Amino acid sequence: MTDSSPVATTDGPPEQARAARQPDGRAANNVTAFVAANFTRALPYILVPVLYILSLIFIPGYFSKLSIISLLVLASLLGMASLGQTMTIIAGGIDLSIPSVIGLSDIIVTQLYYKHWSLPLIFLAIAGLAIVIGTISAVSSVVLHVHSLITSFGMSLVVSGVALEMSNGAVNGAVPGWLTSSVSAIGHTGPIPIPAIIIVWAVASVLAVAFLNLTRVGRETYALGANSVAARLAIVRSTWTLVVVFSISALCAAMVGVFFAGYSGIPDPTVGEPYFFLTITAVLIGGTSLLGGRGGYQRTVMGALIVAELTTLLVGVGFNASFQELALGILVIALTSTYGRELKVAAKI
Amino acid sequence: MSSVDEANGLVVVGLSRSFGETRALNSASLRVRPGEIHSLVGENGSGKSTLIKILSGVLRPDSGTLTWEGNILQFGSPRSAQGMSIATVFQETLIVPEMTVRENIYLGTDRLFRYGHRKGEERAGARQALTDLGLEGLDLDRPMWTLSLAERQLTTVARAMIRPWRLLILDEATSALDAQQRDRLFDYLRLARSQGKSVLFTSHRMDEVLGVADWITVLRQGATVVTMPASEASRSGILGHMSGRAEVGDMDGAVAGGAAGDETGPRVGGERRHPAPGPPILRVEELTLRAASKPISLEVRSGEILGLAGLEGQGQVEFVECLCGLRRPTAGQMLALGDGGGSRTVRGYRGANRLGIRYVPRDRRHEGLFGPISVFDNFAVTLWSDLNRLGLLRRRQAWTIFEDFAESSRLVSASPRRPISILSGGNQQKVLLGRWIAMRPRVLVVNDPLRGVDHNTKEELYKLFRRLAADGVAIIFLSTEIVELLTLTDQIAVFHEGSLVAMLPTEMSSDTDVVAAMFGDDRHHAGADG
Repeated sequence: MTDSSPVATTDGPPEQARAARQPDGRAANNVTAFVAANFTRALPYILVPVLYILSLIFIPGYFSKLSIISLLVLASLLGMASLGQTMTIIAGGIDLSIPSVIGLSDIIVTQLYYKHWSLPLIFLAIAGLAIVIGTISAVSSVVLHVHSLITSFGMSLVVSGVALEMSNGAVNGAVPGWLTSSVSAIGHTGPIPIPAIIIVWAVASVLAVAFLNLTRVGRETYALGANSVAARLAIVRSTWTLVVVFSISALCAAMVGVFFAGYSGIPDPTVGEPYFFLTITAVLIGGTSLLGGRGGYQRTVMGALIVAELTTLLVGVGFNASFQELALGILVIALTSTYGRELKVAAKI
Repeated sequence: MSSVDEANGLVVVGLSRSFGETRALNSASLRVRPGEIHSLVGENGSGKSTLIKILSGVLRPDSGTLTWEGNILQFGSPRSAQGMSIATVFQETLIVPEMTVRENIYLGTDRLFRYGHRKGEERAGARQALTDLGLEGLDLDRPMWTLSLAERQLTTVARAMIRPWRLLILDEATSALDAQQRDRLFDYLRLARSQGKSVLFTSHRMDEVLGVADWITVLRQGATVVTMPASEASRSGILGHMSGRAEVGDMDGAVAGGAAGDETGPRVGGERRHPAPGPPILRVEELTLRAASKPISLEVRSGEILGLAGLEGQGQVEFVECLCGLRRPTAGQMLALGDGGGSRTVRGYRGANRLGIRYVPRDRRHEGLFGPISVFDNFAVTLWSDLNRLGLLRRRQAWTIFEDFAESSRLVSASPRRPISILSGGNQQKVLLGRWIAMRPRVLVVNDPLRGVDHNTKEELYKLFRRLAADGVAIIFLSTEIVELLTLTDQIAVFHEGSLVAMLPTEMSSDTDVVAAMFGDDRHHAGADG
């Protein structure tokens, strides 16, 4: 009926068994892929001792209790500040208000203690404020449908404004002696000859890892960060989860601010500024992805140690601050690119 | 046909294209001559859209040749297709909402540093095209987002018209138009035909296909089944070709691979449950999906599997979204009926969920899976609302539930601690279903759950659904594969143009019946309006 039309067929040639693959070649690939995947996963855990050994080699007299404790104090401050950041990033967000909250907390402690407020009251006030700040960042992100990058950045501007206003050029401040000793390399925690901040960090690390893995909010943090649409359809409590992680982030930043106050003793609203990039650096070097849903705080602990070690090493061999930043930048790019590869390799197995 | 014609027009031979393991086009062929209106028809997934995307340069074929006006085509992009005077109007209404009507019509014609046309020329051209389509009064400076859906669709047609085309491809470009607008468009097409231009169009409306086209090509499972002159075609003949029942000794299905693998008889996998549905547990009252569509009233009974069918975009997806609370209907309501006779209105997604209406979305990757998270955590994410004490998880209990489910559903997974993204589609789907099955749903709403699932897993999932139904769960099963609906469901609700047009008892229906209803054939309206 259709003289010149080129068609009247039903099916093309039955091409079967095309997908059959050689099992042997694939098995060999699996082994290399498995090693490659696990090597990149283990990389931060390998880098920590490697960098320490390098420090021992290149810095004369580095193997001492004092230098180890100095290193751990540095890592503790960064690790505490990055604790909440890890959670907000796993949840698919980011908290840019950490430096300003550190600054505000530093101002409040030094100023109010100078004015003879009671210490528990000061801490309560700071904690309450931190929860308010975290909640506003989280809720506004949900309500306004904008990324927390923006809401927390806005919050950061507000908070630093308040901190600057509160400090009002003041140079006088005071902190209790035990607070100073808690961040000093020669400080003691009761009878233990270790400054309190290291112990605080150790306890906080255990709690944070447990929180992310053993609580409902913790698991929902991963789900939300992995796929927010799927999270909504699976009845994950998105808003509540964000409120919790951003409040934790602000609380950690506030705590770091208190320790910083102990460190210097004088009010300084800009004291947290380096932590804008350093917290993100520690999180990324540890292997928690900015894409959300991947990683964990145990990795950020490694990240904070690596940053502290690298900084110490570079200072020890005589490089200046600008070179340190350069080295950190290269490390971030190099490591995160291998992490990205690891995901693809893992997906093939 | 003369030899002059052989060198002209469009000749497609042996065109194939696969997406992963799904073979969308399997050696399809097509011939469109100059001065001809050619209609391409087929069920969902028959390969129409893929073929059109290849013709318009959006996709590249895996194999096969395209000849247009005597030249072999090597399309790289839509722009290169345009350069060959092929203009396409796509199924999706592609517009820039913030730009004006004129800017949308002339979208993509500008060069880097100068306008492709003067504004005056553009105004005149746009005005002419819109007038041809019956939109004389449309203000060219109105922003696109203020237009109705039909006006938007006509604007995308106008965008193709102002190009110097010799082949115009319309992919479901009439879906939003009313009868009068369609007639204007067809008048324009007939005029173009008389000037020796070619038109290739797809439509879900059989009357259009028979009324406008000179030639008709039927695609099924990616292959060309038949090409015939419209004068020799009948509605039932075309439907028969589309569903594959017209041909004696039809052998395909067994070898075609991919999604088409299970045509060995719809009732395979066995022993059909005798329909012994329990009491009604969900009542839909006067639900209106779109402004102009008919209200839908129906009841879903415990233990019943209700299938939803329809061509792309006919309202079945909206219906599903209304049922699970993701979308507010234009009018009407849903009531969840309690065991004791009480009823509660279904409001919102969370509200529906609380009433035991659980939804498994269509797009696994974007709406269902937490890719980087482990298989177990993907499964357990819904369990934690129950399995926690003061926020601390009861992991051991969750593992027990998971292991039971993995065993009963024969979930294949290297390790439940590995990311779910490495599982096959079928196993991923099992986890997504298990997530809600573990929460004891009363109504399980599944949106095309067997898409991209291999044959064996499909059989396992059929069994899983049947077991659930036997346990008293009502299952609402939307599928684009008619054979799935015939295999699994008790009744099939068929949607057309936003309304429920037929309620077919599966036992007494063939796929030709379903296809006919999908195309709005009104022989099967029995029981739909009740």
